[in-house]
Amino acid sequence: MSEGSGGALIALGLVFAPLSLLSFGGGNAVIADIAQQSIAVHHWTSEREFADLFALSRAAPGPGSMLATLIGWKVAGVSGALIATTAFYLPSALLVFGAARLWGRWRCSVWHEAIERGLAPIAAGLFLSGGIVVLHASPAGWPVWAAAIVTTAALLRWPSLHPVPLLLAGAALFGLVAVL
Amino acid sequence: MPQTNLPHPEERPGGARREGRTARSPVIGLTRMFLAFLWLGCTSFGGGTAGWLYREMVLKRRWLDEATFLSDFALGQAIPGSNGVKLTVQIGQRLRGAAGAVTALVGLLAGPFAIVLAVGAAYAGFGENRILQQMLDGVAAAVIGLTFATGLNSMTQSRPGLTGAILAAATVLGVGVLRWPMLPVVAVLAPLGIALALVEPRRR
Repeated sequence: MSEGSGGALIALGLVFAPLSLLSFGGGNAVIADIAQQSIAVHHWTSEREFADLFALSRAAPGPGSMLATLIGWKVAGVSGALIATTAFYLPSALLVFGAARLWGRWRCSVWHEAIERGLAPIAAGLFLSGGIVVLHASPAGWPVWAAAIVTTAALLRWPSLHPVPLLLAGAALFGLVAVL
Repeated sequence: MPQTNLPHPEERPGGARREGRTARSPVIGLTRMFLAFLWLGCTSFGGGTAGWLYREMVLKRRWLDEATFLSDFALGQAIPGSNGVKLTVQIGQRLRGAAGAVTALVGLLAGPFAIVLAVGAAYAGFGENRILQQMLDGVAAAVIGLTFATGLNSMTQSRPGLTGAILAAATVLGVGVLRWPMLPVVAVLAPLGIALALVEPRRR
């Protein structure tokens, strides 16, 4: 890992800032583009390394994936990680901040109320869709479906249940099955 | 329909609903906000940060209500970027304006940033490990459960009744089952949902 030369840092910014503005529907929308840029265009990682970094970014906590952070780190150490993270998150954060300010001025109008109520079920539907899409993508098949359904039922029955014990239970159960 | 012991918004402590944050009783301090988002960032394993935010900010801390959270989420779909990051900026902005947005976002990202670098540094030692990968699958399954529970919960809380259920089901069918691109689906359903909300008599 070479400590960041200026050129590498600029390249990271130039790759991740536009991707930030293309990731409609969440960070997952641009994972394919990140792969293309890191592997084929800039040769920052091999295919194998990219797959590993992707898996690692899934294992860590935090929003979407910290994939950009890991790739930045791989390319140029901590400064690369900082640049890539900022480039990937800041443009969309600024956009949404501007939109939120405009939205706040509209408060109390009939339209504001109707838009909030009208969009709520669609947002709920998008949540559910996200879960379904990830389930389909999982290579592990029916055990993951079963565990997901059990977790859903548990969280609906006991809404105040903290999810972290459930995650640990999932990890322990699947790990145990793999060992046996 | 899943029963939750969530009180009706109007019965909640300090529960002025749509009147906005001017009506909210105590202002939430920036330090408290920072720590809340730092904790959330460090514990929200497996992605799906929006679900974690819902649980922490709406269900547990009650810093905002379901309708506000969900409309922020849906409006955010028109803007590119990670849903967790967008919601964090929106919530921070609602609670404390620009300073709140910056505080919340830095708080959210600081923990995962440090953790992912530590994990990356350790990764050379582990490499690929079948048991580790299985354990990650287990985590993923639980996270998907969290996502489902969030969707079902918010569906029944925010807009009870048939219209809401049909709109949600149509969204799931289009985006989740048929895998149509999200933007056109939302572009068709959003005006429909808003129009129905305008003509529908208010329930509360």
